[in-house]
Amino acid sequence: MPERKIVIQRPAWTPFNMVAGIIVVIGLIITVIRFTKGLAATTNLSDYNPWGIWIGFDLLVGVALAAGGYVTSAACYIFGLKRFHSAVRPAILTGFLGYALVVLALHYDVGRPWRLPYPFIVQQGTTSLLFEVAACVALYLTVLFIEFTPAALEWLGLKRARSIVVKLTLVLTIFGVILSTLHQSSLGALFLIAPSKLHPLWYSPYLALYFFVSSIIAGLSMVIFEGSLAHKYFHDKMDAEHLREADGVALSFGKAASWVLAGYFIIKVIGIAQTDAWTYLGTGYGLWFLVELLGFVLLPCYFFAIGAREKNLTIVRRTAVWAVLGIVLNRFNVGLIAFNYHLPSSERYFPHWMEIGISVFVVTIGVLAYKFIVTHMPILYAHSDYESH
Amino acid sequence: MGDAIHTLHDFMFRTESITYLLVIVVLCGFVFFWRFLSERDDSRDHLGADRPEEHHH
Repeated sequence: MPERKIVIQRPAWTPFNMVAGIIVVIGLIITVIRFTKGLAATTNLSDYNPWGIWIGFDLLVGVALAAGGYVTSAACYIFGLKRFHSAVRPAILTGFLGYALVVLALHYDVGRPWRLPYPFIVQQGTTSLLFEVAACVALYLTVLFIEFTPAALEWLGLKRARSIVVKLTLVLTIFGVILSTLHQSSLGALFLIAPSKLHPLWYSPYLALYFFVSSIIAGLSMVIFEGSLAHKYFHDKMDAEHLREADGVALSFGKAASWVLAGYFIIKVIGIAQTDAWTYLGTGYGLWFLVELLGFVLLPCYFFAIGAREKNLTIVRRTAVWAVLGIVLNRFNVGLIAFNYHLPSSERYFPHWMEIGISVFVVTIGVLAYKFIVTHMPILYAHSDYESH
Repeated sequence: MGDAIHTLHDFMFRTESITYLLVIVVLCGFVFFWRFLSERDDSRDHLGADRPEEHHH
């Protein structure tokens, strides 16, 4: 593809670059404050609220939205749906970046980054769910990195190394699905230790199952959402295969998301029945729960079904954004809003502006990394040396 | 099924009864949802997988 060798000089001072630059500079300043002055100077965390948006958003939402990697590679390599092949690399890339940023963001919350390997080499704490999450995230980040390397190796021209890594694809996919099943559910199970702190409508013995099933919805929706963004902003980078398969991927994933959302809705309702929490539905929290369940689970399920049935890409793509927002809302509800629901409002948590600043900084780093990689490496097109592979 | 719950048996009887009724509704609804999603599909089976292409010799 000689046309891809043409270098187009783009202006550096675009509005996007300037806004991103300002966010990065502010983020770096807050980073210095965080690691020199501590949590008290940069957060509103307290003994009542030890987990803020760095956990509720950066970690819980980040891990869920990065599920597109295992969902897409499982569909393609384990279930043999090869018509999704062109969606695998973009999904693996966003999964890898998502998990890398989760680990980056975790440093802000945990502090003392040099102690990151301590769970494995100093105090193993194997009975802790957090140990399991740490082990799975560390291993899965490694798996995603190896799965991503063929694109980087093609870019660097290292054919021999690339051929070795490509042979590991199926093993890595299976390993990735196992690890994702474990830690996606464990993130929900973390809250099982606090039945008195989490509102009964969100607390359930099935929390682990809810988190795992909703991560599949997040993964499917994010692949559709990223696909539509890539179609809009990186159209010139996409080859014929990607352009040909993009619509089919969106429609099929929309249909799958509709199924999973329906299942998720059912197990949520059964969860209420099992804990006999019906009476709480009449309260203020109950109304908010219904907003989440009906507005961000049942309605997206219906519109995904309509979009898939009518083969309407616009409906499917808009619903994907809606479903992603639903996952964000769910993680916020479990981690922040319905957590410590019994505390007086004066003791409730609201993030410090620097906490929000770091979350925006982390997302911006992700967008910039994605933009750099998609612009330079064969993510949305097949490298000319490997088109038949 | 009275309103008052005094024992674990009362609680289990109430919650499991409602769950069983919900599951029956879900299983019936599942068929309609399947048909709603899949009735306009032509070249693919109901699970969304490609049907094997016919070979013309």
